[in-house]
Amino acid sequence: MSEKAKDFFAAFKAGRMSRRELMSGAGKLGVTAASANIMLNAAGTDAMAADFDWMKFKGNKLHLLLNKHPYADAMIADLDNFKKMTGMDVTYDIFPEDVYFDKVTAALSSKSSQYDAFMTGAYMTWTYGPAGWIEDLNAYIKDPKKTNPNYNWDDVLPGLRASTAWNGVPGGALGSADAKQWCIPWGFELNSITYNRKMYDKAKVEPPKNMPELLDTAAKLTKDLGGPYGIGVRGSRSWASIHPGFLSGYANYGQKDLTVEGGKLKAAMNTAESKAYHKMFVSMIQDSGPKNWSTYTWYQVGTDLGAGASATIFDADILGYFMNGGDNKEKGNLGFHGFAANPNAKAPTPNVWIWSLAMNSAGKQKDAAWYFMQWASSTEHDMFGARKMDFVNPVRSSVWKDEEFRGRIAKSYPGYVEQYDVSAPGSKIYFTAQPLFFDVTTQWAETLQKMVAKQVPVDEGLDQLAASIDKQLKDAGLG
Amino acid sequence: MEHTSPFERIIRGVLIAAVLLFFLFPILWIFLMSFQTNEQVLRIPPSLFFSPTTINYTSLVTGKLQTAAGSLDLAFMRNLGNSVLLSSVSVALALVLGVPAAYAFARFKFPLSEDIAFTLLSFRFAPPLLVLLPLSLYFQAIGLDDTYIGLIWVYQLIALPLILWIVRGYFEDISPDIEYAYRIAGHSWLQTFTRIAIPLARPGIAAAGLLAFIFCWNNFVFALILASADKQPVTVGALAFVTASGIQYGQIAAAIVLSVTPTLALALFAQRYLVEGLSLGAVKG
Repeated sequence: MSEKAKDFFAAFKAGRMSRRELMSGAGKLGVTAASANIMLNAAGTDAMAADFDWMKFKGNKLHLLLNKHPYADAMIADLDNFKKMTGMDVTYDIFPEDVYFDKVTAALSSKSSQYDAFMTGAYMTWTYGPAGWIEDLNAYIKDPKKTNPNYNWDDVLPGLRASTAWNGVPGGALGSADAKQWCIPWGFELNSITYNRKMYDKAKVEPPKNMPELLDTAAKLTKDLGGPYGIGVRGSRSWASIHPGFLSGYANYGQKDLTVEGGKLKAAMNTAESKAYHKMFVSMIQDSGPKNWSTYTWYQVGTDLGAGASATIFDADILGYFMNGGDNKEKGNLGFHGFAANPNAKAPTPNVWIWSLAMNSAGKQKDAAWYFMQWASSTEHDMFGARKMDFVNPVRSSVWKDEEFRGRIAKSYPGYVEQYDVSAPGSKIYFTAQPLFFDVTTQWAETLQKMVAKQVPVDEGLDQLAASIDKQLKDAGLG
Repeated sequence: MEHTSPFERIIRGVLIAAVLLFFLFPILWIFLMSFQTNEQVLRIPPSLFFSPTTINYTSLVTGKLQTAAGSLDLAFMRNLGNSVLLSSVSVALALVLGVPAAYAFARFKFPLSEDIAFTLLSFRFAPPLLVLLPLSLYFQAIGLDDTYIGLIWVYQLIALPLILWIVRGYFEDISPDIEYAYRIAGHSWLQTFTRIAIPLARPGIAAAGLLAFIFCWNNFVFALILASADKQPVTVGALAFVTASGIQYGQIAAAIVLSVTPTLALALFAQRYLVEGLSLGAVKG
């Protein structure tokens, strides 16, 4: 890059030039669009470096553990800027998601110092944090000697900051004043409706506004389309079947997984309202869901939507985003719709999955690792990923206000931004933070399977589930 | 002389065809899938007729996978190389250690011989996860964590008991009188072992080696836990096609075809030994 071109992009970053002037000037300097993106982000990196000693750990070598995901791809595409800014080297291991958390758990539990930082989900930190495997990042975020002045932690969406912070007390509120920040939100997904616009037009139906409407719409689609089924949701015996659409709708009816009374946890799935919601959900799958629903995971739900085998999903918005692109048959045909399951609710309450970055307690170079983490979760990198890569959904409010990003999404994914704007204010983790999270949710999914298979009536199944969970909580000293 | 009626022959033929179809159709279907795009694979209803493409194989060989989220780097060929390296070196080492040990257990009576042999076999009983975390700690302490040597060592848990027990049975089936006769002619124990026992036991050794290779090849969890991404075998690497942005069915099928090829070729090459070795070693007269 010539010095003249560098100065040109630096001027834009410093606010001395409009985007229109930048693009026009770049063209005159003979800079291609692709090169301009890299130069622009490099200029952003230089701006970050202005007020902070990023070279403090020059010569260090960090090793990361990453999941094979578009978020990791976006980071890798921008990684040279971090290396250049800090003088550090960064290597990484990428593992497929199917085995990723086995690898993480093995590395952390064996106190291996091989990895300095790694990707995780917030739920997993409810195990890793109390076990002492990961660091409380408050100590870094709040230390001006360790965190660059432009980091702007408050710019990260408040629901996500809170959802990744827990005080370690079973049932303790996420994001409480005494909470430890176990990980930094990196990219996230909320749960809403993605639907096939062509199929909806053919069946002459509108996107459903609430759960009763969803049941009717899905049934009509199944009946009228003559092949595709109405609604795709996950059904495998796993926590992952509970946390997306199911829990988002459940929370919208004001229902909880557990209640906390006097510091003791108690199962709350067998209230009258919960039973009514379960009956609707079970009936929806029986009438309009996939035939082998009990095997359905993220992959099957998405693949069916992308291949035109299903008309609707109530799942992660980014799953619909991915299925609306690539070489999917229904590419460009999908629409997005924020969804409040309860007709009396004012807004959607999507449960969220947050891909986050956490720091290995057994790591030998924690301060250097924090340099990487704050760069990877910075506004500059978030913006780069959102504008140029598939870093969707970004976690910073400033990025969501960026017109270039919003314009790109609005053009190729009609309705996505509107869906996000409606859903985001109520989006957070609606589970109760506690160490038996995976046991409780897996058993919940198992009970749901039995109800759909008509092996047990809904009322009876939920009473049995609540009794079993209460016993487990009691045995573990939590109930 | 056995007589079969035309009706019986027809029934037998139909039944054999049905069994072959049942077992081979999934393999044929995977083979066909490996020449289709994702869109062709996911057609509703599925079809046997399509325009073949080699893009799945090209992606694997070049290491670039096109997904809904863009281009992803693949390390499949490296995974394949790792599988070949880990499996072949592990089996070679297990043969070097296991064949003399099997001979010793078959020919000599020494204190605790059965206990030692059973202990080696018991490696096959323990769930791998039970030993992996302690092993991981030990390996970190002695510097074998995330090394090929460490993995090959751990793979002995798979290969060594198989080779030892299969080959032992085979040595026991060979009459010791042949070896005694050779020894009386003035040859040493080592000469008897290398020139008489091993050649006679070769079919059993080949069968045991092949089985051990297949078991090592199919192992999933050892490398996953004990090594970093650049040392993973195909069993872990194949999961890379299941991404958040979709499942790449065509590439999975092509990966299966490629990863099955070495073991299939080896099995076909050693088929004669496999049947003979397993049957003779396993049955005691």
